[in-house]
Amino acid sequence: MSLDKKVYKSFESVVGPENISDAPAVLRSYMYQPFGNNKGVWADISPEAVLMPASTEEVVAIAKICNRHHIVFKAMSTGWGIHNLPGVEGAVLMDLRRMNRILEIDEKNMFAVVEPHVICMQLQVEAMKKGLNCHIIGAGSNTSVLASATSVAGYGPDGLSMGHSGRNLLGVEWVLPTGEVLKLGSLGADAGWFCGDGPGPSMRGIMRGWEGAWGGLGVFTKCAVKLFHWNGPSELEMKNAPPNYVLKEPLQFFKASLFSFPSLDQLAEAAYKLGESEIGYFICRLTPAFVGLQMTSGKNYVDMWQSGMMQQVLKYGFLFVIFANSEREFDYQQKVLAQILEETGGQASPISETKEMQEQIATTVLKVDAVVRSCFRSAGGFNTSFGAMDTVDLAINQIKAGAGLKEKYIKRGVIMDDGGDNSATLLFEQGHLAYTEVLVMYDHHDGESAQGAFEYLAESNEICLKQGLGPPIFQISQVGMGKHGVFGPVCFNYDAWLREIKKELDPNNVCDPTAYISPEERERE
Amino acid sequence: MLLELNDYVGDMKRCARCSICKWPPLAVMKSWRFSQNCPSIARYNFYAYSGGGRMALGLALAEGKLDDVTDELLNIVYRCTACGACDSSCKYNSELEVLWSIYSTRAHLVSMGNFLPEHFMIIESLRKEDNTLMQPKADRAKWAEGLNIRDLSQGGQAEVIYHAGCLYCYDPDLSSIARDAVTLLKQAGIDLGIMGSNEACCGSMAFQLGFQGEFIKFAESNIDDWNAAGAKRVVTSCACGFGIMKAVYPLLGKEMKFEVLHITQILDELIKEGKLQLSKSIPTRVTYHDPCNLGRNSEEYVPWKGVEKKVLGQFILREPEKVVHRGWEGVYEPPRDIIRRVPGIELVEMERIREYSWCCGAGSGVKLSMDDFALWTASERIKEAESVAAEAIVTACPWCERNFKDAIAQSGDHLMVYDVVELVKQAL
Repeated sequence: MSLDKKVYKSFESVVGPENISDAPAVLRSYMYQPFGNNKGVWADISPEAVLMPASTEEVVAIAKICNRHHIVFKAMSTGWGIHNLPGVEGAVLMDLRRMNRILEIDEKNMFAVVEPHVICMQLQVEAMKKGLNCHIIGAGSNTSVLASATSVAGYGPDGLSMGHSGRNLLGVEWVLPTGEVLKLGSLGADAGWFCGDGPGPSMRGIMRGWEGAWGGLGVFTKCAVKLFHWNGPSELEMKNAPPNYVLKEPLQFFKASLFSFPSLDQLAEAAYKLGESEIGYFICRLTPAFVGLQMTSGKNYVDMWQSGMMQQVLKYGFLFVIFANSEREFDYQQKVLAQILEETGGQASPISETKEMQEQIATTVLKVDAVVRSCFRSAGGFNTSFGAMDTVDLAINQIKAGAGLKEKYIKRGVIMDDGGDNSATLLFEQGHLAYTEVLVMYDHHDGESAQGAFEYLAESNEICLKQGLGPPIFQISQVGMGKHGVFGPVCFNYDAWLREIKKELDPNNVCDPTAYISPEERERE
Repeated sequence: MLLELNDYVGDMKRCARCSICKWPPLAVMKSWRFSQNCPSIARYNFYAYSGGGRMALGLALAEGKLDDVTDELLNIVYRCTACGACDSSCKYNSELEVLWSIYSTRAHLVSMGNFLPEHFMIIESLRKEDNTLMQPKADRAKWAEGLNIRDLSQGGQAEVIYHAGCLYCYDPDLSSIARDAVTLLKQAGIDLGIMGSNEACCGSMAFQLGFQGEFIKFAESNIDDWNAAGAKRVVTSCACGFGIMKAVYPLLGKEMKFEVLHITQILDELIKEGKLQLSKSIPTRVTYHDPCNLGRNSEEYVPWKGVEKKVLGQFILREPEKVVHRGWEGVYEPPRDIIRRVPGIELVEMERIREYSWCCGAGSGVKLSMDDFALWTASERIKEAESVAAEAIVTACPWCERNFKDAIAQSGDHLMVYDVVELVKQAL
């Protein structure tokens, strides 16, 4: 099936001939999507064309053409993961790459207005010039600021001090599936971008709710996000050679430490106390495998793992970073931290105390630029399991369940042996919320490994259901009905609400529902 | 053959599609304005034009997932200067051979008889005239007339052979730089010769475009000629020539009895030894542009051949360990050291430098076959130079200089363009 020539011409008249393509080579390149793919690297379904709008007006025009001709569309920003592709035949893909501007950084009111293809690192370097900083999601600073704020998840370890993307969202410009433009928050009352929930309409819950609609509810063309106080220099200069760029000068009042605890329960107790004490810049559950893969690769990593050294010094650990505004505050936070560690049996790991590790950790923590090393480099295939946005207790229960289940698959040899407990992230918003992801690495080109990994993911979902551990937010191979269809019936039928929202906002069902939800009744799916 | 697509399938199918290939290494990004690293995706936008996109196409070709080789496919494959910025950025986190996957894709297409007509003309020129510029071979040594330099095409030997390269030989605007280079080396007392009308192309463009047979022919012939002339050192002013001689010639397995140097390396050496003394002031604020093939692409390439073993369940361990080329070992300091020693000059750095430098836009045949793309890429660099208030951009490659000059002429900018050699000559 290919697009009707007249329809293609209509799209072309909107974006210009340079910005639309149905060439097989162009389409094939978009089909390369290993992350979340349950077999190999290629998507089964190709978009019929790729369009690259440059403005809200062009997005509106495309959506209206799609409604007129009943053509399904899907929008993507940086496009990492198979959920970025349309999951139905005959659809078009909007690559928002040309909408890439930082429209405003409001220093006084501490927010930025961005288009979809602005990545976190672009915003951070510009924000720092004005004494501000931005939240970066755990996936890394190579991801879109807008996408995580409006559409998908949004968690990251600096969320301890800088919230999570969904919460940081202020005014929004939203092209609904019908092509109408809806302005949310203060923007909807022509009062600027400063607030997400008024004086204009607040539809935060409908727009993204808990985890986002994954591109199933139209296109977000602009949004404002909160920025935070930055106490460091306006530019972070680096030294050393790749792959170990590190800060040229240490930051004042900055201290990063890896801590380990006698048990996961004591780690949880420390996390609660740290949240209550409202100290810290960054916290992340870090495991021996994750840290080891940050530090090295290949044979060096294997030797390190087999020596058992990392497992010994980092069993039940997390990384905690203090970044204070003054010496007095720095001393205070250190004292509070020391007291909490004493109460909970936490010990600083000697590996984080060296000058080299302090430099490396500081860089990684601030830039969030090396996630691929720990997740994709070792085996190629990667996914996450478990992970609901809730409490520390729930996160710990998920970690325990994940580690136990993974042992079985590690013994089978179908996933990488990362010790079982390989989980990331922890507290957000100074302890109001917690989240984790239990990571799993496998070889997506090895049929037995890929199948084993997906059996593990399916079994992890069953455990979530049976043990009441909540739907895994970021298991991207199971977004959409794979998740909502299973968890909806046991979670107050929340999926029925999602269907109603979808039906109301997308009467022609032209915005690809695959990664979100279909408006159809559950039984018919 | 050096380039076999199947040798890179393992890399191409392990791309995480994280898009890090589209940016400078994230830790060194300094602004939104200059935050891109790949001219091709920056100009053409579709994913296929990125390093990751090109690996996807290479994989699709290897796996038979593209039915036809269309003009669109060829345009995508060749609208790329093979600058290697994607490769350096990828290797910040992964260890994938992005650039060599691109080379191998091209070689695969050429082996099936697929190439652009413009590139065939370049190769025909190589075959007939030993240069890429469709110029007569007989005129190759004209640039050196009157220099009183030993012409080894007439026999004899020299300790150091100066290889001018195609563009310096034939571009009348640039050949004075080759003349300056030779004059400086002679002035410093170097036992110098040139190959005269026997000098031939280094083969870099043939290699980058995927014409392996032609590349091997030229590379082997050059090695034989330089060995026969008793050279201890081969010095070139062309960064593209230097890059291919350093990175790829050793893979041919022929004994190279000489050391390969770029002109900036030997001038830096001579200045530090006091054999050339820079005394005249040039009061200018300049910035330095790192040519890709003098910088990140000049590391000697060691292809990985071995086995992938599964350990720790599914951890993929390469045996033997892979040599990772991150671009750090390129020639970065010698040209900067020279510039810093010129009295009166103030050297300011642009945002994208060294292993994450932005390409000038001319490489890999782009200047000869897609000049609009080459000029667009150069104009981006010129804006970057102007953003640091430089009065001049200094480089060390004829292709960079040609392209910058053309872009400035087109735009009406006032930025001056110099080769490092010109600065040294002026400062003596």
